[in-house]
Amino acid sequence: MNTVAITTVRRESLWSKAFYKFSRDRTGMISLVFVLFYMLIAFGVTLGWLATDWSDVQGGKWEGMSTTYWFGTNMIGQDIFSRAIYSTKTAFEVGLVVALIATAVGAVIGAISGFFSGTWIDEVLLWLMGVLDSIPFYLFVAAIVFAMQESPYAMHVAMISTFWTGSSRLVRGEVIKLRGLEYVEAAHAIGVSELGIIFRHILPNTTHILLVQATITFVAAIKSEVILSFLGLGVKDGMSWGLMIAESSQEVMAGFFNNFLAASVLMFGLVMAFNMFSDALQDALDPRKVS
Amino acid sequence: MEILQYSIRKLFSGIPLILGVTLISFVLMVYFGPDKTYELLGKNPTPEEIAEVRSQLGYDQPFVVRYVDYLRELATLDFGNSDSTGERVDALLARTIPVSLALTAPGFVLGNALGILLALFAAYYRSTWVDKTIMASAVIGMSISFLIVIIAFQIIFASSYGLGWFPVRGWSIGSIGDYFSYVAVPTMATVFVALGYNTRFYRSVLVEEMTRDHVRTAKAFGVPPSKLFYKNILKNSLIPIITRIVFSIPLVIISGSLLIESYFGIPGVGKITYDAIISGDQPVLKAVVGLTAILFVLAQLLTDIMYRAVDPRITLK
Amino acid sequence: MPMKFLLSAAILLTTALLLSGCGDSQDQGNPGSEVANLKVYRHAMDQAPTSLDPVQAANVYANFIVLNAFDTLFSYKYLARPYELKTNLAAAWPEISADGLTYTIRIKQGVHYVDDPAFSGGRGRELVAEDFIYSLKRHFDPASRPQGAWLWSGRIVGLDEWKQAGSDYSAEIAGLRTLDDYTIQIKLIKPYPQLLFTLAMGYSAVVPREAVEHYGREFAIHPVGTGPFRLTSYDTSKVILERNPNFRQEPVDIEFEGYDPQRHGFSGVAAIDGLSPPLVDRLEINFIAEASARWSSFTKGDEVQYASIPNEQVDQVLASKRPVTLKPEYAEKYHFAAGIEAGFVFQTFNMDFPEFGYNEDPQRERRNKALRCAINKAYAWEQRNESFYIGLGKVFPGIIVPVAPEFDTNLSTESITRDLAGAKKLLADHGWTPENLPPLVYGTNSSVTARLMFEQFRAWMKELGYPTEKIILKRFATFGDISKAWKESRLPFVSKGWGLDFPDAENTLQLFYGPNGSPGSNDANYRNPEYDRLYELASTMLSSPQRTEIYHRMNRLLIDDCVSITGLARTRIYLWHKDVIAIPDREIVGGFFLRYVDIADTEQPAITGSVFR
Repeated sequence: MNTVAITTVRRESLWSKAFYKFSRDRTGMISLVFVLFYMLIAFGVTLGWLATDWSDVQGGKWEGMSTTYWFGTNMIGQDIFSRAIYSTKTAFEVGLVVALIATAVGAVIGAISGFFSGTWIDEVLLWLMGVLDSIPFYLFVAAIVFAMQESPYAMHVAMISTFWTGSSRLVRGEVIKLRGLEYVEAAHAIGVSELGIIFRHILPNTTHILLVQATITFVAAIKSEVILSFLGLGVKDGMSWGLMIAESSQEVMAGFFNNFLAASVLMFGLVMAFNMFSDALQDALDPRKVS
Repeated sequence: MEILQYSIRKLFSGIPLILGVTLISFVLMVYFGPDKTYELLGKNPTPEEIAEVRSQLGYDQPFVVRYVDYLRELATLDFGNSDSTGERVDALLARTIPVSLALTAPGFVLGNALGILLALFAAYYRSTWVDKTIMASAVIGMSISFLIVIIAFQIIFASSYGLGWFPVRGWSIGSIGDYFSYVAVPTMATVFVALGYNTRFYRSVLVEEMTRDHVRTAKAFGVPPSKLFYKNILKNSLIPIITRIVFSIPLVIISGSLLIESYFGIPGVGKITYDAIISGDQPVLKAVVGLTAILFVLAQLLTDIMYRAVDPRITLK
Repeated sequence: MPMKFLLSAAILLTTALLLSGCGDSQDQGNPGSEVANLKVYRHAMDQAPTSLDPVQAANVYANFIVLNAFDTLFSYKYLARPYELKTNLAAAWPEISADGLTYTIRIKQGVHYVDDPAFSGGRGRELVAEDFIYSLKRHFDPASRPQGAWLWSGRIVGLDEWKQAGSDYSAEIAGLRTLDDYTIQIKLIKPYPQLLFTLAMGYSAVVPREAVEHYGREFAIHPVGTGPFRLTSYDTSKVILERNPNFRQEPVDIEFEGYDPQRHGFSGVAAIDGLSPPLVDRLEINFIAEASARWSSFTKGDEVQYASIPNEQVDQVLASKRPVTLKPEYAEKYHFAAGIEAGFVFQTFNMDFPEFGYNEDPQRERRNKALRCAINKAYAWEQRNESFYIGLGKVFPGIIVPVAPEFDTNLSTESITRDLAGAKKLLADHGWTPENLPPLVYGTNSSVTARLMFEQFRAWMKELGYPTEKIILKRFATFGDISKAWKESRLPFVSKGWGLDFPDAENTLQLFYGPNGSPGSNDANYRNPEYDRLYELASTMLSSPQRTEIYHRMNRLLIDDCVSITGLARTRIYLWHKDVIAIPDREIVGGFFLRYVDIADTEQPAITGSVFR
């Protein structure tokens, strides 16, 4: 079909251009290497190659840095370095789950909302987004965490249910713009169903926005995890940078900085790399973005 | 007259939002929130005593009755007494909101003012080293967790391991001097964290305006840069800037800053709200959630009216 | 220039907001910000009380304020240890009938409430016997949301019936009435040896009916009492109390209070002999959750004058642990006292769970007992003590705490000694293998410390051969939620702390009394007929060697059944500034020492001006 061919060409050129642009972006490439390195660590932990001793109680109380314990030990003698490394996996898990699902949910709802803009469907969806955005974040998260006390994914669900509105609004705007374009009208004219139009023709043209949005959500999720864990609403079992920082908040005033430093330096590295990666991606993908 | 009519209409159209927010929050707090009953029991309770406490809290009423009660409370702005301390909720809010305002206002204002300022510099010197330095710092600022900043600043500025200039924590205000000393570290932390986000946002708004066709054209026609900047770019950027600021206000007023308040032990509304969440103090939660929703509707109205003040071409419809 | 314009606008706006912020904050600053040379004592506690109403004085935080704003009939002597009761509002010791069932208590005359708008004319009226009756009745009126009824329920003639009849305050109660304005008569259903202890608790503090009715629910933040202090401000960060100018003149007899020059001489408390409390003009109680923040506020010199040493600081502050001594630089500035808490921390199985406790199958029940005993043997109390209690906690077998007068010094320490090999053998002998061990759900709160305790426990269990994935953490974000799980008997393994309400082992032994099972305080749902029989036998006995012997038998029953992993009493080290003349203590009900706190007269300017610190 003619229209499909046009969209495909359009998309291909966008992606190949973006790829070319990104590969020339030195900051982007360096940050990508960093992100991949972290991802490798996370994989290693998942597969049980790294930091398997994160919960063992082996050392003394608050030991300093040594060749055995690179970052010393914590209050009950656990290896801080292992715990920090293990937490990389937690960060990726939280970040990926939240980013992927929140963006996907946002994309679908945003697309429906945009496609039906002006009708009651759009009104209801807009209302829902407005409502979710107006409930104080911590109340919402706390309520969901309480509601799902049994589940280790309570925090993920809480974040997803608040984070999707951002992507949704963006996609909605984009879809409203696309809807008026000739090829969509053409598809409509030749009798492609509405759902077909949304998912086959409109959504694919918003992927560049979604990709960028997912990276932003990824960072937001990692950062929220730290605060939620500190408040006692976060990671249930396992270890995370947020839990380590919460642990350290009692220690730093007494001059034990190891927990705090290990977690915050590792976390800063990942978030920084991801932020820069996200920027570079945005530069490469968004033709309208001016910098 | 037109504005008044418009405002009333707009306020009415905010009702679905308020209903939605209150309903969802109320469902969450009633069915999923912590059960206050078990905090109000003695050490050795009997099943009858448990039932009595539940009835005192109104937990034995059907949901609909309780929700209608809530709406009535919202309409009359009378939320009764806190289930924790017995204090009147309005007295509680009147006591804590000013503290949170006094605490967050300097950080909010400075964060936005400095953000706009830096964004102006960056946009004005776009693609030069000035711009690049500012934007790189912004990304660094954005990459550090608020919690880390708070802990680090407390160590650096308030503890005996650092400079020890300010009180470690607390809020005991007797004079302007006290105020500055207590608000200093929280403000620095807030500004540090907000600055990166604000600068980036404002810069992108400004740059977008700068690259618009009419600006390019005007430039080509030799309009002096400063005039161009002021007349075309700044004015048009005001709308997104105002929106961002106005919509932050409800959260600044009602949510305060939970992290700052709990970390520094400041008796503001953020801490009160969080304690209410944790202990299931529904009267306080109902008030906080309801008022936040109302403030959001008001913020929407305010931005609409301000748009018109900024740009007369926008009509209120 | 746009830049300049924006910059100046920003500065103007900031200044305006800052100023308005200041205006706001001044309003809620300290009431009566420093006029004269007031004597101020600034105390620090780790948590704020939620209610100051005596019927809700459930914890030490509330009692710190309740016992100072209100008065109880009896109280504890300032310095005597073990704790000894003395009269407070009561004019003399009660007359007790020969059968131990009728108590006649005369109260002091001329005791006045603080002035308050609740009274007609605003002047505090005289406290009368009827006020006490009213105050106790409130515990049996659901509308006042009381928490102390368990202390008197089933004990006083007619009280429970009064509640069932609808808590009508005008109705008389046969066992709780006044003989005249200054005489109270209490009739008991059966002897209650702990009655006088309960009349020293904040729960039984005397309140005026006018104020309760005037303030309604807000009475909880507007205490109106006869205590040595009156409340002037209350929020979640601090409470300020001021001297009650009308407080009755009762000069301190330091010998009577239990002064021992050897133990107390260092603190200078002998100087308050003959003075009439309260001795300071103002009492500030700061609520600071983090130990480290309390510590920095304390060491800053001009903020709080009292603190305990945070775990993390111990090595910097202490020169030695046994006995506790301070390093010279601290000893120079601060007084200190170290003492074992009147309470303990322990962990207990919930016997209602067939995986660990009672089971229809007697064979399995025997195996369960072996399992419990093995876990107990694998538990490393000394390591826990070292990690979380500075190594200073007192680990003891059973549930009669060291501070209780009935503490059993001859008990074998086997139940608190780690024996990993023995534990493994026990498991093997009873057919437990990593495959058939039941999952152990460990319920705890969401604090960082609680989590570390769990990880430590899990590591010990791993050493025992318990698969790591079978030790499951279940976190509760709020106290209410974990409390609900206990009360509904939903947790097989409970971690708890208990503070004594009065110095009598009955207070901890009741934790395992069958009829107190969930939702009562017997979270273990331990039901041993022999134990219950002994408990009932002892419950009507006055303190005596025979009763102590019964207590000890009950204690041994518990240990033999491996119901609980117990226990540890924390050592608390308190430090206070040297200008404070006091021996602080927060045990038992807590806070009754505050009326005796004095501040030395060698005042530094920093103390008079509390405005900026």
